Formats: sequence, C-alpha cells, structure tokens
Amino acid sequence: MRDVAIVGAASTPFGRSQWSLLKLMAEASHAAMTQARLGDRRIDAVCVANMGSARNNRQAGLASALVDRLNLFPAAAETVENGPASGASAVKVGFQAVASGMSDLVLVCGGERMREVNNLEATEFVSYLSHRYAEYPYGVTLPALAGMFARLFMAKHGVTAEHLAMVAMKNHANALLNPNAHIKMELSLEGILHSPHALMNNPFVADPLRFFDCCPVSDGAAAVLLAPAEMTSDLTDRPVRIAGIGQATDTQAVHERPDPTELTAVRIASQRAFEMAGLEPKDISLAELHDAFTILEIAQSEEVGFFKRGKGHIALAKGETQIGGRLPINTSGGLKAKGHPVGATGVSQIAELVFQLRGEAGKRQVKDPRHGFALNFGGFGNSVVATILSRGF
Amino acid sequence: MIDELEAMLRPPALEMAPYPPKFITLASGEVMVVRQASIDEVDTLLEVIDPLKHLHRDFYDIVSARLYSELLGWKVHRVRNEYCLVGVIDGVLAGIVNGRMFDERHGISYHTLALKRGLRVGAHLFAAKMEHHIEYLGEDEVWIVAESPIGHRRWMIEYPLATKFEIQHELGGAPSWVLTRETYFKAKPRLVVGTRPVPQDLLATSRPIKKPDLRTMLVQVEDTLEARL
Amino acid sequence: MPATVNAAKCKSCGALSYPMHFLCPKCGAREFEPEPIEGEGELLTHTRAYALALDYEQRYLTLGIVQMDSGIRVTGQLAIDEPRMGMRVRATVGTVRVTGGSEISGLIFVPA
Ligand SMILES: CC(C)(COP(=O)(O)OP(=O)(O)OC[C@H]1O[C@@H](n2cnc3c(N)ncnc32)[C@H](O)[C@@H]1OP(=O)(O)O)[C@@H](O)C(=O)NCCC(=O)NCCS
Ligand SMILES: [Zn+2]
Repeated sequence: MRDVAIVGAASTPFGRSQWSLLKLMAEASHAAMTQARLGDRRIDAVCVANMGSARNNRQAGLASALVDRLNLFPAAAETVENGPASGASAVKVGFQAVASGMSDLVLVCGGERMREVNNLEATEFVSYLSHRYAEYPYGVTLPALAGMFARLFMAKHGVTAEHLAMVAMKNHANALLNPNAHIKMELSLEGILHSPHALMNNPFVADPLRFFDCCPVSDGAAAVLLAPAEMTSDLTDRPVRIAGIGQATDTQAVHERPDPTELTAVRIASQRAFEMAGLEPKDISLAELHDAFTILEIAQSEEVGFFKRGKGHIALAKGETQIGGRLPINTSGGLKAKGHPVGATGVSQIAELVFQLRGEAGKRQVKDPRHGFALNFGGFGNSVVATILSRGF
Repeated sequence: MIDELEAMLRPPALEMAPYPPKFITLASGEVMVVRQASIDEVDTLLEVIDPLKHLHRDFYDIVSARLYSELLGWKVHRVRNEYCLVGVIDGVLAGIVNGRMFDERHGISYHTLALKRGLRVGAHLFAAKMEHHIEYLGEDEVWIVAESPIGHRRWMIEYPLATKFEIQHELGGAPSWVLTRETYFKAKPRLVVGTRPVPQDLLATSRPIKKPDLRTMLVQVEDTLEARL
Repeated sequence: MPATVNAAKCKSCGALSYPMHFLCPKCGAREFEPEPIEGEGELLTHTRAYALALDYEQRYLTLGIVQMDSGIRVTGQLAIDEPRMGMRVRATVGTVRVTGGSEISGLIFVPA
C-alpha cells in the first residue's frame, strides 16, 4: 500500500446558498485543486459524497456531472452515498484508489444543498436514514433518535442540560472564528437555559434536546485532493498524511443495540483508525467530532477513547475541549455551528484538520498540532468512519 | 388642520389601548425591547423594509411589499385602527409586526417581519402581537393567515389555531385561521414571554430606532456566499 | 387491515427478532414465523418530538423504545401524557401515520 497525502483542501461557506449544488461543489473542488502545483498533471478520478441530490436537487449522477463542470474528462467518476458519513467514506474510497496504485490524483468532493427544499421536506429527507419499517412509519426523525439517546445517556452518566449547553456555546464561539461557518452567533447560558425567556428562545425539538442542541440544515461543499506520497514534494510544501482510517457499521434500528447508550461502531471505527496509524488517543492534537446533536460530542469523545466512559462531560466542563485546552474539539464550530450539509460534512471535517495541521486556521489555530482526528457518523451511528491525519511525512 | 374632504377620506378610528413595552433576553444574551412604534417612526421603518421587497426568499418580498403599504397607509390615515410593534436590540431594529382592530371584538393580524435571523425574533414578536390583541386591545379573537409553509407550522400548528374559513381575511387568498381568547391563554405560558416594566434607561435605548445593516443581518447569506471564494 | 405488528421467530432456533433481518441474527437460518408483538413491557427511553417530518399535522409526537417482556425491543409511539423511564406499558396497534391518504398501522403504547 502506498502512503497517501492530502495536497489541497477547501470549503465553501456553509449556510443558505444561492449557488446550485454543482456550483458549490465546483468552487470547493477548484479551490482545492489550485492549491497543488499540478502543472499539466491530470486528475485521475473524482469521488463525490452526497446523500440526496436526486431527491432534493433533481440531479443524479453527480460525480460525472462534476467532472463535466470542471472539464476533468476523462477522469473516472463515482458518487458515494453513505448517509451523513458519505464525506469520510468518499475520502476513504479515494484513499484506497491512491494507496492501491490504481490512481494517482484523486479529487474528493462532498456537497449537499438541503435548503433547496423547505424545512419539512428536509426533516423528512433526513428521516429516511431511519429503519424503513421499524422506525420511519412512526414519525421517527434524527432529532427524535437523538432525544431518546440523550435521555438514556444523561440519566446514566449524570450529564445535565448545562453540559449540553456548554457544547453549543463552545462550538458557536469557535464558529465565530471560522469565516465559512453557517451560524455566527454567540450563545449565552442565560439566554438559552436560565432566563425566564429561555423556553421560547430555545424550545424543545426532541426533549431533552432543544433547538440549540441541534445542528442547522445547511448548504455547502468541501473538497480535498489526494496524491501518492512520492508525488507530494512536487505538489505542495505542506503535505498532510492520511495516517489511519477505520470504519464500522451498527444495527439500523437503534432499539436493537444491546446497550442503546453505546455507540459501538464509533468505538470500533476509532480503534481501527488508531491501529492503522500506530497512534493512541493521547497523541491526538485536535478532533472534529460529529456533533449533529450536542449530546453526541460528549458521547463520541468517550467512545473514541479521548475520555473515560462517563467522563466526557467533565472534561468539557473543565474547558479541556476548548481551543487552547488539552484536546480542542470542533475548532471549526462543528456541525452545530459550522453547519451540516450532510454529504459535505465528512470532507469538511477532514479539511478543517488539514487547515489546522498546515497552520492555516487563522484565529482558531491550535498551537503546533501534529495529529488530527475526525469522526463522521451516519444515520444514528449506523455507519461510522474515523480518519486520522498527520502533519508532513 | 384637516379639511372636510380629508376628514371623509380618513377612516374613523377606535380608541386603542397602548401596548406596554416589555423586554426579552434572547439566546445570545442580547436584550430585545418590544414596544409600540409611533407614526413618526414609520419613515424609518419604510426605509428598512424597502429593499427587502426584492428579496425573493422565504416570502420576504411579498411580506415586505405588503407591510410597506400597510405602514404607509397607517401614516397617511388610510388604514383603520392599525398598530405596529417593533423589536429593538441595542437601539437597532430587529423585527416588525403589525395588525389592526377590525372591531372591538375581532382583531386582524397582518405581518411579521424578522430582520435579525436565528434568534426567534419573529416568534417573539408574533406572540407579542397576539398578547396585544387579546390582553390590551381586549379582543375575543384574532384572524390570521400564513403566507409560507413554515409560517403555517409556526403559527397554525404551534399555538394551535382553529380554522375560520367562513370569514375572508383582509390579506385575501388563503382561508382564515383564528386565535381565540381561550387558545391564547392556553398557549401563553409556553409562547408568550417578556418582562415588564422596562427600566427607563433600557427603554430609552430603543428610540430613535437605528436602521440595521442588512448586509450583516439578513441578506448576508446570499451576498457573502458569492463574494467570499 | 392487519391489526398486528409482528416480530420474526426463527423456525430453527426460536430466537425473536424485530425488525426482521434476512437471516436469523442468532443462527443464520432463513425461515421465520410471525409472532405478534403484544402484551406488556418496560419503557426504556422516550422523547417528545416537535420537528416532525411530512404527514404530521400535530404539534408533537411522543416516541419511545420499549423492552417487551417477550424479550424483544421495539420503537413505537406513546399515547402517554407523562411518560417516565422504567414505567410499565402495554402494546396496542393503531394508525401511526397517514401517507397520501393511506393509513399505516403500528405500535402505540399505553400505560399498563
Ligand atoms: C433544529 C431545527 C429543527 C430548526 O429548524 P427551524 O426551526 O425550521 O429553523 P429555520 O430553518 O427556520 O432557521 C431560522 C434561522 O435559525 C438559525 N438556526 C436554524 N437552526 C439552527 C440551529 N440548529 N442552531 C442554531 N441556529 C439555527 C439559522 O440562522 C436560520 O437562518 P438561515 O435560514 O438563514 O440559516 C432544524 O435545524 C433541524 O431539524 N436540525 C437537525 C437536522 C438534522 O437532523 N440533520 C441530520 C443529522 S445526522
Ligand atoms: Zn435462529
């Protein structure tokens, strides 16, 4: 297997876009490609991550459409659909293509335009991730699964509404330092929890989860350009290496899991990624976790192995996961505040690690990071991809 | 002095109780003063609303165009018993709602326009409008139509409102829904918040109204997306 | 209209599973017989969901996961005003969604 480097990474602003899905993806891709000194080298393959363009944007065959838009003919094109984990899945597919020697330059682009449809349609679309017979017909949505999970998890580990609010406040604050973030707004504990007006400011979405415990529905795209290690010195001065990738699947219906508070696929995917990278959780300088709901950042930080089971919220409360803390989590603002265009998210998490490892993260730069960890979580933990990036070679 | 013809053109007005100002601590920790706007402030409001008539998103265009004409109508005395409430954060206009008394017992809700997004300004102001009709104007019911699917979810289902399809709402088109005194008081603990009285110095910050920089508030999303990459 | 929701009972090892998988999760056999989900169980967790998908006109839906006494676990709607974790509930079957005019029936739990 060849070593694989990321030689370009970019993201569009997330939020509500006037741009079409393909325009978003073309902008992110172009920005990533132009970071590398490609000369007259051609892109061999394009791997796209997307969950719902056929439903929401009336566009199928997205990868070949992107090749067309960018004039990358005759590059091989394929689209990876793996729910909200599509992004990291597509990076993995690109990694395999380069590592195997089958392709040299692979462009991976994740994009989603969810605001082309109204919010009811978007909620419906995301709820297709649930089990078609045992969950969906009951009106189960992703926030509902997260609410049921949160109630169990909070009772078991003593996590309170304040802890959830701390995740939201931290990630909103980080997003204020990220020019590409969807939500640019500071939150106050008073305003979302303690004032007599808080229930109206921050109503329940799926109790115990409230509005500011959820990610927004966003448009956006992100892209990375992959190349084999031997080519990187020609292409870039600041290569980032894909050190490890791990992936795992869990039951589709959440109720079938032996302990519904455990995210087994997160644990296994992370272990595999650490094994492949030859690293341990303590080696990681920063992490992007899949905080589609605030409770998930806490639960995942434990399953990945950063904190002991039941201690994630304590580390959070101590400020260990803030920028400047022992292990900054979601420096980009996370899904919570950077936004969550489902297919783009996994690629954008990896792009954030690249920005940080290259020292280009501006005001949210973590000091001298060596290894970054990203966790992309599909369905309600049905499909999970963990990726570890390292600075240089 | 108004002459005889003008007096004929002006609709006779009902006595309207004032809306006592309140303040709300928002999610961001910012404080929004909700108070009644006066006729001398209409020109400022119109200046803010004007460009939004061309924002073809979330029904901002139609809501702004209609609100513009309603407020203008109020200013030149062509709409009867109209009122307007504003939400003001740090002196800056964050949202506008308006409506009118149809008669002593029935109110008509016109429009809700949020200029600052993401803080539930629209929901707070809509609630204040219902509060005004029922608690201060003393009406028994308010007639309401929604202009967007999200509005439908927010008002019709959230309160929840009942149908009143037999009356024709002034905004034409869609069949009317109704908020009764009973549904209002049931929803109140959940939906209507705010603290009174507003301290004098806080209230003073809300006048004169400063115009929001729409580029950094509402329109930002569209423009900066184009400009940034 | 079928008034039952069925779990799958493996014809070779007798294990119950819900929802049905192509192969028995326990022994890998392919033959099942339907076993109605009925009786009582314990409410493991629940939520009131307000941001609803299409088809729903109500303000919220109450959903929960129930550990049935029969051993299986199921997700269903709750017709319970104040659900509590650990409370005893009983399975009934009713309309859980109306899609394009057709009614879908499913599990609705009531206090036992
Ligand atoms: C939480 C939620 C129900 C709120 O929906 P809503 O009340 O209809 O919100 P709106 O879309 O009207 O938002 C109005 C404004 O509030 C803000 N906003 C919306 N959701 C927000 C959130 N979760 N956090 C912070 N701000 C938010 C935005 O500024 C938005 O403005 P924009 O339209 O310019 O982006 C919705 O965002 C949601 O369903 N989130 C979960 C999505 C999901 O499940 N994703 C997949 C998970 S794997
Ligand atoms: Zn079996």
